[in-house]
Amino acid sequence: MSAPRLLAAEGETFQDHVPGLNIFDWPPLFENGPAWLDWLTKPTLIVLLSALAIIVFAWRAFRAPQLVPKGVQNVGEVAYLFVRDQVARPMIGADGDRWMPFLFSTFFFILFMNLSGVIPVLQLPATSHIAIPIVLALVVYVMMLFLSIKHQGLVGYFKNMMFPPGLPGPIYVILAPIELLSNIILRPFTHAVRLFANMFAGHLLIAFFASVAWWFLAEKLTVLGAGIGIVGFLMSIIMTAFEIFVQSLQAFIFTLLAASYIGGALHPEH
Amino acid sequence: MVRPAMSEEGHRPDPGSEDSDHSSFANAAWSIPSYVLSGMAVYGGLGWLLDRWLGTSALFPIGILVGLGLALYLVYNRYGR
Repeated sequence: MSAPRLLAAEGETFQDHVPGLNIFDWPPLFENGPAWLDWLTKPTLIVLLSALAIIVFAWRAFRAPQLVPKGVQNVGEVAYLFVRDQVARPMIGADGDRWMPFLFSTFFFILFMNLSGVIPVLQLPATSHIAIPIVLALVVYVMMLFLSIKHQGLVGYFKNMMFPPGLPGPIYVILAPIELLSNIILRPFTHAVRLFANMFAGHLLIAFFASVAWWFLAEKLTVLGAGIGIVGFLMSIIMTAFEIFVQSLQAFIFTLLAASYIGGALHPEH
Repeated sequence: MVRPAMSEEGHRPDPGSEDSDHSSFANAAWSIPSYVLSGMAVYGGLGWLLDRWLGTSALFPIGILVGLGLALYLVYNRYGR
């Protein structure tokens, strides 16, 4: 290898240990287990645990609601009010309350999957595998199409989408294809990719700084390398805090957009 | 405009209320990427096809810029006013 090496030492260097795509590749949990259990990998386990977490959380909070809430019910009600007042009502309107079961579970399902990126032992956001955002975005997309056609009619849906009121006449001809491509193809695509890319990049960043710290402070401790290792250690703490912020934000944005698409399907003038 | 009559219609917030402002701002902010991408794809693609047909090479970048401009105009028109 002729590339310049960081602190060339004998044998292996840090560059042989930079985390790459391999940190997203997980073999079946039980490698010698039966073939029908091969689907159970770390990412699928995290999806299952997140689903379980939201079920247990909602069950404990709302199973036997008291007039004066306490304990888990308190947390559940604050969470419910947050999703209702920040997502459902602004995006859909007063009839947004009807969509709360869907929006509430979507938000917390994604939030748990994202936060598993910073939970010790799990330490992998399940949404950094693009299949999971794609499935979630497809659910919203199919629902949006169904609601649009149900509430506006097939012709009305395309008319409202491609020819919104308030534009001078001939400009419609050149803007309609943009609207069509944007709404039918690119919107679900950006919806899924926004969540995936944020989680993927964040996980890679944390893994990078953590392996810098591990390599220079534990594996190959040298006087010169210790400085780099300390920077890597501090950066991995800072990035973890930043990731918690990004993970919550992306779960919120995904739910916000889902509500916005539903709202647009129900009230096309928005 | 098609607008289904719904029983909840009476309870909806006024168009000028805070909720509605918040909603249209967020809609505008988050729909920009897909509009910009699709504007560049449609008119960049058209330019690329014309380039192939006419044997020129300038229409592809011009198409991308035109598409970008049109997409921003569209966002401005739908949400900016």
